[in-house]
Amino acid sequence: MKHPFRWVALAVAAGVCVLAVVLAVTVSSDPHSEQNTSRLVGKRAPKFSVVALDGTKITSANLAGKTVLVNFWNSWCIPCRQEHDALVAWYAQHQDEPDVVLLGIVREDNRDNVRRYVKDNGVTWPIAFDPGGKAALDFGTRGQPETYAIGPAGVVAASKFGPATAKTLDSMVTYAQGAG
Amino acid sequence: MRRWLPWIVLGVLLVGALGYALWPHGGTESLDAHTRRIASELRCVDCEGLSVADSATQTARATRVDIRNRISHGESDPEIRQVYIDRYDESVLLKPSSDGIGVLVWALPIAALLLGAGGLVFALRKWSRQPRLVASAADEEIVAKERSQP
Repeated sequence: MKHPFRWVALAVAAGVCVLAVVLAVTVSSDPHSEQNTSRLVGKRAPKFSVVALDGTKITSANLAGKTVLVNFWNSWCIPCRQEHDALVAWYAQHQDEPDVVLLGIVREDNRDNVRRYVKDNGVTWPIAFDPGGKAALDFGTRGQPETYAIGPAGVVAASKFGPATAKTLDSMVTYAQGAG
Repeated sequence: MRRWLPWIVLGVLLVGALGYALWPHGGTESLDAHTRRIASELRCVDCEGLSVADSATQTARATRVDIRNRISHGESDPEIRQVYIDRYDESVLLKPSSDGIGVLVWALPIAALLLGAGGLVFALRKWSRQPRLVASAADEEIVAKERSQP
């Protein structure tokens, strides 16, 4: 033990290396490290009950057996506005399909602003308020827009955080239909 | 023994203070206090640097209601935390968990403290073993010569 400091330094360096490897392996093996994937994907979608603009109740039970695109959004978020054209384009193509539903659920907004936005921007797909923010919470949303594709069996097949394109929405629906 | 007495006293004080700090205090926790305690451990997912207990967003409010309901239905604290970990991930916890990779967050500062203290003790012991400098006759002569000069 001629130079004990050298051994201590070597031990510390070895410890740091082991720690770096452990951290790298942990982070790289986390399937959700890319924040664009919801932890819900592959799991049963949460049950929800939301209220449409006309006051009617829309529930997950009503939509059972259909492929559902749930889009969390609000009137003041810029990325939601950026996504708007894609939703319009996608809905124009799919609104006549009886087994595919696009449902916009309002997140963190007031009713008057939402009604005004819907009227001014020609939103024709169903929009619903989320009493108490329960649906947004149960889906584990972190912000808006967030879109979830639920297959006919009620399983979340795909998710998208941030503005989606019409092509992305198409892929999500195709995947959800394939997943069952 | 007298030499070690201050260290023993210091150790007893440290263990006592840690024990007091970590020991659960108070009587039965109210539902409100219980909800607030768990909410304060969870990160508000749609705001910066706030806990669910301190945030006013709709999601935070919904989370507080959800926690309250879960407590009322008899779910334990770890079960409630796990619901949120499953929903978001470990990052939803403001206080890292004490298992898995989270243990590193707790263990590393302690390991660093022990390593630092060990290094300090080692260095002090090494320095104390070095002989003190004693003025030689030649040194004394030089000093005397300098002092005698006007």
